[in-house]
Amino acid sequence: MSLLRTFVSRYVLPNTYRTTARFSSTDTKLSSNDDEPVAMPNPYKKERRQCILCKLNIKPDYKNYRLLSQFQSPYTGRIYGRHITGLCKTKQEQVESEIKKAQNCAYMPYYYKDKTFLKDPKLFDPENPIRSHRF
Amino acid sequence: MPTYEVALMLRSMPKPELKTTLKRISHAIFDRGGIIRNIENLGHRPMPYKTSAHGLVHREANYFVFKIDTATKAVSDLKEEYSRDVDVIRQRVFKCEESSSNNCTLEEELLPPAYRDEVKKMIEVGKTQVNRFTYKFKYNSGLDYYPFQK
Ligand SMILES: [Zn+2]
Repeated sequence: MSLLRTFVSRYVLPNTYRTTARFSSTDTKLSSNDDEPVAMPNPYKKERRQCILCKLNIKPDYKNYRLLSQFQSPYTGRIYGRHITGLCKTKQEQVESEIKKAQNCAYMPYYYKDKTFLKDPKLFDPENPIRSHRF
Repeated sequence: MPTYEVALMLRSMPKPELKTTLKRISHAIFDRGGIIRNIENLGHRPMPYKTSAHGLVHREANYFVFKIDTATKAVSDLKEEYSRDVDVIRQRVFKCEESSSNNCTLEEELLPPAYRDEVKKMIEVGKTQVNRFTYKFKYNSGLDYYPFQK
């Protein structure tokens, strides 16, 4: 009996199955296409990254020297580069020009960071830049 | 009339004197047909670096920002007048820029170099240039001598 069953499954069923499968596929195409792939936006697409100033919609201003001093090194007073601050090009350019304005207006020092701002929250980590640098 | 921001540093002085100084400064603007939109007082605080003005060294200053509308030709005139003012330590004039809304391009900037537009453009430019590393001087170019240093 078992021998017969294997014989049937091996030599008879595949053929019958193939034919029935072909018929059934055409039938579904005619009746309905519920099972077709649906056009949808990529669910695994990551969210668009934005820099911190664009995200919070802040325009750097030379009068707001407390914010600008966060982009300054506490040791040398130099402005951190784009690979450290993680800003987009336009914002980094604006920050740099506004820092220069503020320094020229004697709102901000050139060679150090104001000691009252030293404990301000860090917006980025200079030790872990986005792109490696040679320092 | 364009809008300007005049950042002024005034020497430290008692309040009534400061009042007369501010009046004098604003009258100089009004006399030239300008208007003041806004006056900001950023307070009296030590300067980050000492400044010498009119024969005195100043280490503290009163910070003021005037937002004014004035003719472009009057600006240099105003600056000249304030430079003669003994109470003004330092002055800077900036043009107010209207805020332009631009989208953040950080996502495009963080792409690998081969996908960045500026790098693609550089490669395109590089293809039109002579490659210095593989370029070989051709001796049949009409010159009967080698024009470069060997
Ligand atoms: Zn941005």
